[in-house]
Amino acid sequence: MNNADIKVLLVDDDEMIRDCVAAYLEDEGFSVYCVASGEEALQLIAAIRPAVCISDMRLSGMNGEEFIVTAHTLSPETCYLIHTGMMYCLSDELHAIGMSADDVLLKPIHDLSKLVNKIKQCAAIRRCTQ
Amino acid sequence: MPHSDIAKQVHKHKKTLLDILDTLPSIIVRVDRNGRINLVNRRFEQFSGITAAEAKGKLLQTLIPQFAGELQQVAVVIDCKSPLTNARIQSGSGANLRYYSLQIYPLDSDVSGMAVIRIDDITEHVRIEDIMAQTEKMIMISGMAAGMAHEINNPLGAILQHAQNIERRVSADIPANRKAAAEVGADLDLIRAYMQKRGIFDFISHIRSAGIRASDIISNMLHFSRRCDSGTEYIKLSELLDRVVELAGTDYDMKKKYDFPRIELQRFYAADLPPVQMSVTEIEQVVLNVIKNAAEAMADAGMERQPRITLRTRLSEGMAQIDIEDNGPGMDEATRLRIFEPFFSTKEVGVGTGLGLSVAYAIVTKGHHGLIEAHSRPGAGSCFTIKLPLKGRG
Ligand SMILES: Nc1ncnc2c1ncn2[C@@H]1O[C@H](COP(=O)(O)OP(=O)(O)O)[C@@H](O)[C@H]1O
Ligand SMILES: [Mg+2]
Repeated sequence: MNNADIKVLLVDDDEMIRDCVAAYLEDEGFSVYCVASGEEALQLIAAIRPAVCISDMRLSGMNGEEFIVTAHTLSPETCYLIHTGMMYCLSDELHAIGMSADDVLLKPIHDLSKLVNKIKQCAAIRRCTQ
Repeated sequence: MPHSDIAKQVHKHKKTLLDILDTLPSIIVRVDRNGRINLVNRRFEQFSGITAAEAKGKLLQTLIPQFAGELQQVAVVIDCKSPLTNARIQSGSGANLRYYSLQIYPLDSDVSGMAVIRIDDITEHVRIEDIMAQTEKMIMISGMAAGMAHEINNPLGAILQHAQNIERRVSADIPANRKAAAEVGADLDLIRAYMQKRGIFDFISHIRSAGIRASDIISNMLHFSRRCDSGTEYIKLSELLDRVVELAGTDYDMKKKYDFPRIELQRFYAADLPPVQMSVTEIEQVVLNVIKNAAEAMADAGMERQPRITLRTRLSEGMAQIDIEDNGPGMDEATRLRIFEPFFSTKEVGVGTGLGLSVAYAIVTKGHHGLIEAHSRPGAGSCFTIKLPLKGRG
């Protein structure tokens, strides 16, 4: 699969974070979509059906957890990753939709190539299960 | 009973008493009111380097002058018939700083006018108390740091990731870079040559390592407080250790700086060990910190022998025990006593944060009601022992 075929949706209220992660992922050839809130992301997600959605936890408006739980009902085949600056423990709801501790990435990510590997892994799994 | 038998009996009893005194880990001395010695045990001989025969009749305060101040009280203790305790006496300084407790008891028998002195080395005990107090403090600070972490980690992320973006956008390997350079009438190779000449690549890589350093300090600070209250699982120690070894193998620093793949790993896992209840991510962190230290110590020592880490698990007095042993340079006693202190590091500034083992200590003792200890001698490697209750965090 070509990286351009892999759609990645970034949800973060910090523009700096959206920009720097997006720049890297775009250089890798992924199709990257950025939004600043969970509400905006929900409007998009059903239309683009991203392979991977990377969401911050602390967002203005709905928080990351609420967002992912709702987004999962709209786009269940998307692989959700959490990108947060706080120590975060997965809630029961997120466990229930199949997320594990490996899906929580703590900011700052030291080396974005690790994120790239994670995205490719997720995309590969998605392809197999489809 | 014939006289000679009685003498034999007396001799036997005396011998038994002396054996008991010699078995005790304390220094025991019997003196008269002037401090003149008439009996010492073996521990005294070892401590002072003076044999019992030599010591007899000498003034105790001249043989162990570091305790002379306290020993002035001997006569008072004998006269008042009430014992005296001094719980914390400092002796030496810097690397030789040690703590002792000293007790003087009036001898309550027909041989009056005598006192028994007992001295114990409580250095380890005092150290543990200090470390506990400091750990408590760190846990408190950690709670406050958690609130700040979010604010700090976002800008740090931007710094680190944009530094990485800059590196990539001047990289010769990405075709888009050549194309963009050509569009503005520049040659990427010349741009790279200029950057090289002016040390700019080094600047960028320094931004990255400085960012990682700052981020490590923050994440270590956060590890003092509990991460997931819900997150306890039963896991086999063998599985956990294998996972950490794999994690260490993919760690950038471990590969580049500490040559982790060159280290020989030996694993001896007890078959009869049941799964242990714990916060897996936390104990993984503990084991990773200890393994990293071993790799760092062995790399720093530039060892000629094959570097080796040995992992062992076993059941020990109802607890699950992990031993992590290296054949590196080891450490002296003064260092060993301080390694669990927050911010204690013998590494260069910028290399060590001194938080790795103090985090490990907090997680094991506070978070899991377990124990963590280090055994080491200079030149003889180090062995870290972690003991966890089987139902650690219920
Ligand atoms: N395996 C080891 N061999 C030798 N010394 C060690 C070992 N592990 C830890 N140490 C000592 O303990 C100190 C504290 O370790 P740590 O708390 O992890 O902080 P740091 O690694 O940042 O220095 C180290 O600086 C080192 O002196
Ligand atoms: Mg360390």
